[in-house]
Amino acid sequence: MPFADLVVGTLLYGALLGVIYGIATAGLSLIFGVLKIVNVGHGAFMMIGAYTTYWFFTLYGLNPVLSLPFSLAIGALLGLAFYYPVVRRVIDAPEMASLLATFAMGLLLQEAARMAWTSDYRGFSWEVARLEIGGVSIYASKLIAAGLALLLLLFHYVVFYRTKLGLAIRAVVQDREGALVVGINVDRIYALSFSIGIAITVASGSLLAIYNPVGINPYMGAILTLKAFVIAVMGGLGSIGGAFIAGVLFGLFENVSYVVLTGIEGVQPLVLTRFIAFTLLLVILLVRPKGLFGR
Amino acid sequence: MKSISTTLVAVVVLVVIVAAIAAVFLMRAPGGQEGAGEEKIVIGMPISLTGKYSVEGEMSLIGALAVIEWINEQGGVKVGGKTYMFDLKYYDDESNPDRVISLTERLITQDKVDFLISPYSSGLTFKAAPIADKNGVLMIAQGAASDKIFQQGYQYVVQVYTPGSRYLTSALDFVKATDPNAKKVAIIYKENEFSRTVAEGARKYAEQLGFQVVFYKSYPADVSDLTPILQELAASQPDIIIGGGHFQDGQLLAKQLAELNINAKLVSILVAPALPKFYEALGSLADGITYPAQWEMGVKYSPDKVPEGYEWYGPTIDEFLKYFTSVAESRFQKQGLKPSYHAAGGGAAVLMLAKALEMAGTTDTDAVRKAMNNLQIQTFFGKLKIDPETGLQIGHDMILGQWQSGSKVIIWPPEAANAEPIYPLPPWSEKG
Repeated sequence: MPFADLVVGTLLYGALLGVIYGIATAGLSLIFGVLKIVNVGHGAFMMIGAYTTYWFFTLYGLNPVLSLPFSLAIGALLGLAFYYPVVRRVIDAPEMASLLATFAMGLLLQEAARMAWTSDYRGFSWEVARLEIGGVSIYASKLIAAGLALLLLLFHYVVFYRTKLGLAIRAVVQDREGALVVGINVDRIYALSFSIGIAITVASGSLLAIYNPVGINPYMGAILTLKAFVIAVMGGLGSIGGAFIAGVLFGLFENVSYVVLTGIEGVQPLVLTRFIAFTLLLVILLVRPKGLFGR
Repeated sequence: MKSISTTLVAVVVLVVIVAAIAAVFLMRAPGGQEGAGEEKIVIGMPISLTGKYSVEGEMSLIGALAVIEWINEQGGVKVGGKTYMFDLKYYDDESNPDRVISLTERLITQDKVDFLISPYSSGLTFKAAPIADKNGVLMIAQGAASDKIFQQGYQYVVQVYTPGSRYLTSALDFVKATDPNAKKVAIIYKENEFSRTVAEGARKYAEQLGFQVVFYKSYPADVSDLTPILQELAASQPDIIIGGGHFQDGQLLAKQLAELNINAKLVSILVAPALPKFYEALGSLADGITYPAQWEMGVKYSPDKVPEGYEWYGPTIDEFLKYFTSVAESRFQKQGLKPSYHAAGGGAAVLMLAKALEMAGTTDTDAVRKAMNNLQIQTFFGKLKIDPETGLQIGHDMILGQWQSGSKVIIWPPEAANAEPIYPLPPWSEKG
């Protein structure tokens, strides 16, 4: 593979992975934007999505793309199930309370998954076409996953800017008391926002499983949470579009920094890319303390 | 009322006494069976029967007991004109390093065993080794593939398993013998101590054999995407790709090699392909992928095919299976249990000791340890021979397993192989 192909491949794979990162962060940002709660259990919800796709595929042979509605539904229900008994009580509590509560939610899901499905690393093999793009070989499933991620983002946008619910949510974000005064049921808006946020998060877990259908296990969430935090902060916490663009940048950066690092003698490039990505975050925060798109 | 409660108390006391007596008997039970009159050599073994190594530990133990039973039924070990029966004294170490330390000391000082077999895993063996060595008790290290244990200058610790540094050498031997045109080797490994030892060993050996190592890089332990490193690997156009680390990354490595359509004549990956889950995750993409293993059901080692310089010793594979099954059923209530490589390794440890005793002609530890240096045997577990200086295993070869149409077969070494290899590997794009 000549160098040009390496560059094309790097950019292509980086961008696709970035789109997945982007959608995987959108739910986190939404929940923070509306409820002002940082969901530390974020990655565990993605894990549920990955398992959803895995089980529907291995048990029923369901096309992974078609598992997406199920993931959204499961996510929405999980969101409501956690909102009323747990999240609702910690919205106005000190930050530590909500951090602990969401952390506990993550642990609960993780351990439940381990008890139900063991801690085995699982994977599946969805046979789809292989494409050649600019001399780079790629599975169509990756393109499909990225396409679906964009679709989800669109859905997200439509809900926010083209529906009455979206208007109400934005009103609550701008001014809670004001929203109450004009008759918006703030509690219900919170519940719905949390539910939508979790639905998108679980669905992004499904997309991740389509993108990379191996390594599915109860503890896969930890690193996903970490990356989502970095991306959310980079994009400006609470900004969904910002999260998405930051995700793409992060994916690109991870891959491009690899190519740059290969030029340095005596360095293990892949071990260092994460370091580079976090350095990028530091630099961005130095220049724009509220993130790329934060206000 | 009063009389009822008195009776109740009496019954409870009685039950407690009976339970206590039973407990005492039960606690004594694991320590081996009583032999009949003959002279005995007692081997001590701390082994994990509970905790995280319980499965592997029990396997090793059953394997060792199976070989001991075989030896005793053959009439025991002949040492300098005298015949000895083997007896194994073992305790459950609970997969706990501190227990290993205290149990090893107990076996040496209180039970006064003659020889030791190590617990399962490199980590636990690391705890037992210095105690055995300090006390001058010879320990046969089974279940431990670490090279590091044998770089500590111990005099009385010898190894059964192929050490990590030679995990991937069988794959290279296989290619060398099969295809003189394959020259370029790519090595990609997980960044941790054991995988690095494996990779370094493979690199040195490849260069010795005249291969050209065109790619040598590592990836982080919790990697979730290998695309960038694999694209660079592809650019080096290797004939052979070897490496890996553990299960999750090995699965990812194979998957992404296929995804990026990076083709090589041979792909050999540590750990992951040896497990059935690998095929579940990869489907037909797994076909043709090879992996190193200490031993596997289906190996064809036999007294008819003994490599030069080696002599056959111990039970045949069928005999081992028979004794393994009988021990598993009669003493562990496990029906239909099949031996894993852990079991074979446990049995091989006993064989090394028995042969060295016969060669030494005395039960004196130093003489047996010295005789061990000249031991060169072919067994149902494969070849066994140690490095006299360090005790490191240098005879035993990893077998090379390969997935073929959804089943695992063995393609190397020739004396173990049970199938023709798929070589070169067909391109991924032809596998769908």
